[in-house]
Formats: sequence, structure tokens, C-alpha cells
Amino acid sequence: MSYAIETKDLSKYYGNFRALNKVNLNVRYGEIYGFLGLNGAGKTTAIRTMLGMIRPSEGQVRVLEQVIGPGGGGPWARVGHLVESPSAYPELTVRENLDIARRMQGLPDRRAVDGIIEKLALASYADRKAGTLSSGNFQRLGLARALLHQPELLILDEPANALDPAGIVEIRGLLLDLARDHGTTIFMSSHILAEVDLLADRIGIIHKGELVDELDAARLEELRERQLIVETRDVSKAREVLTEFAPLAVNGHLVLKDERAVKAPDQIATLLVTAGTPPTRLSVEQENLEEYFLKLTHSQDE
Amino acid sequence: MNPLPSALWTEALKMRRSKVPFFITLGFSIAPLVGGLFMIIMKDPAAAKDMGLISAKAQLTTGSADWATFFEFLAQAVPMGGAILFAILTSWVFGREFADRTAKELLALPVSRSAILTAKFMLVLLHTLTTTLWIFGVGLVVGYLVDIPGFSVDLLRSKFLDIFGSALLTIALLPLVAFIASAGQGYMPAFGWTIFTVVLAQIAAVTGWGDWLPWSVPALFSGAAGPRADLLGWHSYLMVLLASGVGLFLTFRWWRYADQTR
Repeated sequence: MSYAIETKDLSKYYGNFRALNKVNLNVRYGEIYGFLGLNGAGKTTAIRTMLGMIRPSEGQVRVLEQVIGPGGGGPWARVGHLVESPSAYPELTVRENLDIARRMQGLPDRRAVDGIIEKLALASYADRKAGTLSSGNFQRLGLARALLHQPELLILDEPANALDPAGIVEIRGLLLDLARDHGTTIFMSSHILAEVDLLADRIGIIHKGELVDELDAARLEELRERQLIVETRDVSKAREVLTEFAPLAVNGHLVLKDERAVKAPDQIATLLVTAGTPPTRLSVEQENLEEYFLKLTHSQDE
Repeated sequence: MNPLPSALWTEALKMRRSKVPFFITLGFSIAPLVGGLFMIIMKDPAAAKDMGLISAKAQLTTGSADWATFFEFLAQAVPMGGAILFAILTSWVFGREFADRTAKELLALPVSRSAILTAKFMLVLLHTLTTTLWIFGVGLVVGYLVDIPGFSVDLLRSKFLDIFGSALLTIALLPLVAFIASAGQGYMPAFGWTIFTVVLAQIAAVTGWGDWLPWSVPALFSGAAGPRADLLGWHSYLMVLLASGVGLFLTFRWWRYADQTR
């Protein structure tokens, strides 16, 4: 099977420090791959290695089926990227910055710049110097540069950084559109787990330089624990009634992780009503990605 | 689209929009103006004192006010000023990519890193040569306005070669500045290097080893310290060439192979 990005035993050492340790990661064509990790986990090192900016100490990276070697050679006309915080020449306007990107991508058509300015809602800032932009618009400019040449593969480091909530929703829609309607492969790192949760088809979790998990979003759904939240006016009495389900009292309500309880909240309600402490709220909630992520990384630490 | 013209267009736009290259040329323009002032003073020191141009303690009352002296002043100013101002330009052209954190945008592109570096060096060469011509031109205008005596076409030709030659030798040493601005990832290491080489050049020239030190060669070539045939040998030019080649090699190699983490 061929992959848009494939790393084999990818390692990067700085002295004794292992920034990446035998990372084997596969990004399929057309998917949105969410790359999760704490600060310093190795996300940016991995991304820079994929883009030929850092040479691996060991292992190999293939991008769009081309081995990335030293010296900057790679299928870059087909790849758009945004690494760490966006950057631009501050004394140049938004349009000029994008025109530079257009030239460097070898795009002869000047209209490509107008198109991307329109798409990223930068039209009212097009003739403003990049150095005067707000951080949100600066991020948009970085994204515009990454998308300008309509790449097959997008490698984005924290694409939602600095965007306001409306901007996040807008960029999410844009990325989904690119992946679903245009077949663009998207590899995105993020610390905003909810964002990854909403977008990604697959998720890779990196911790202390090691890829600790790589799984489909559907599989992640299965793995995440579900729990029944019970609120009642008499928590201690309800706890006695539900002892066999090992309830945990958390912030004035009960949490039941027992599968019998999660699958049959109606029976729990009956038990509570019969005991004279009817529930004021019953809700089956799924462990969120943050909880799953923290559980996984903590287990790696232990 | 051809990579080198694209890279040249890009680098030229960055230079045009920035104030740094403009101010470097403007700052250098002071040299012929100061030379003109000296000529006014030397022509008539007593009048200059009366006008308040110089104080009673001034040493600048000897020497002849003629075109040969004026050109010699320019020939000293170009390698000395160039060593600092041209180095500032070079460290800006290369170091700015790190100061503005734009270096990472130059690394994974269809246009090769070599093409981008070649464009940067070509633009530095073009700007420094243009600045040298500009200073020479301003010098001619200033000299004409001050009405310095002793002009001849032969003198013009010979001093143009002195000034332009010393500028070329100064420019040849800039690749090492480019390398230090790149490997040091900013302007400051390159500034430090420039000051170090300027001081070293002075020491080497004073101790009589200037012909072996590339950074002393441009000033010695200018003829300000005496006939260059007495001061420099073929080995001097070879040392400049070597320093230039090492600088180019290291810069290209660094951009190609070093880990880029900024």
C-alpha cells in the first residue's frame, strides 16, 4: 500500500536526547491525519523532518512516495506546509508576500494570489503590510501560502493557532472541503484536541519522541470509555442504592463506568425512583479525547 | 518558471521594500561629502577657521587640496566603509530570514536552496557595486562643486581602478559574512565577525602581515598606504580568493545540510 507520508524507524537524536525514536507513521492518501502530542513531544521535529528541514539520525521519510534526502529536494510543488508559527516579510504587503510564494512555487498565473486572498478572507488586508496584521490574520496568511498552489498534501503545524472561534470554524470547513471534495491529504498537528477530534480520520499520538498510538477515528470512538452521569438531590443515598455499579462521587454527582449501567440507564432510573431518590439528570457521556490522550500518555510515563 | 529568475525577482522585491539597503547607500554617501569638506578646509584653512568649520586645535590644516588627495581619501573610505556597511547589508540579506523567522519558508520549495542563495549573493554584488559607483559619482559632483584643482582623465581612470578594485576585493570577502549570518541565525554574530575582521586587518597591516590577511588586502590595494606593488603580492589576491571560496562553500553547504530549526 502506498502512503502520502510514510516514516520508517524515523529517529532524531540531539546528543543523548531522543527527539524522535523509531517513529513509524503512515498517512493514507485523502485522509485527515491528526498528530497529537504535548509540547516537546516531537511533533514539530517530525514535521520538519518530513519537509527535509531536519536530517534524520536514523530511518527514512517518504513524502508522496519520494524519499526525502538532504539538500531540500522533494515533491514540494505538490506539498503545502505551515510549520510552527506562521512567518512573513513584515515590510511587504499580504499580496506581495503571496506573490513571492507564487513565484517560488512556479505558478505563472497571478490570479492564484487573488483567489487565495478571497478564499482566506484576506481581501480587506491585501494591501496592508504583513507586519501590521493581527496574529489571527497572520495565521490566515500562513495558511494562504500553504494552500496557494492547491497542493495534494498539506502538512500543517497547529493550523488553528491564534484564530478566533469563528476563524477556527471557517478553517475547519475549508480543510474538510479540501479533504472531502478535492481529495487533499491533510497531516495536521494540534494541541487543540477537540479540533482534531472533529476533523481527523486517523490520529497519531506522539509522546516523548515515540508514536504511542495510531488509530482510526472510528476505533478511537470504541476505545473511549463511556460513563453514566447521575444527578440526584440525595447523592449519598443514591450511592448506597447503586453500590453494585461502583459509583464514584465527582463534583456533587455520581459517575458510573460499569457497562451494565451505561447500557441501561433506564434501569438505573427505576432503581433510584424505587428507592425514593429520583434522578434529576441522567446522561451517558463519552470520555473525551483529552481524557483518552492523558490516560495514554500517563500510562507511557509509568 | 525558471528557478533563478524567480529567486532573483523575490530577493529584489525584498530589497526594494526594505529601508536597510537604502540607508546603507545613504550612509556611505557621507564619505564623498566629508571628502569635499576636507577639500574646502585644506584649500583655505584660515577661512575654514573663521567660518567655524574647524576649531583652532584642528590638525587638518596640512595637505594639498587637489583631485589626487580627494581620490585617495575616497580610496581609503571605500574599503574601510565597505568592510562595515557592505557586511551589514550581507548580514541583513542572510540573517533577516532568521530574525523574521522566514528561513523555514525557503527550504521546502520547488525553487532550490542553491538558486535562492545564488540570487541573494547576486543581489548583494549588484547593490554593493552600484553603491561604489554611486559614491564615486557623488565624489565627482562634490569635487566639481568644491572646485578642486588638478583634474585629469588619466588620474580619473587610475583612481577609479583603485577604488573599484578595492571595492571588489571587499565584496569578495562577504561570503564569509553570509555564512556567519546563516550559521549564527541572525545579524549579531555577523556584526561581531565584521568588527573582529576590521580590527584584525588594522593589526595585520600595522605589523606588516597585511599582505597575508585577506581583510587587510582591500585597503592596501587602494594605494592609500603606498604603491600596492610594494605592499601586495599574488599570494595576497590568492588569500582573498580563498576566503571568498571558503565563504561560498560553507554558506551553500550549511543551507544544504544543516538542521534548520528556526
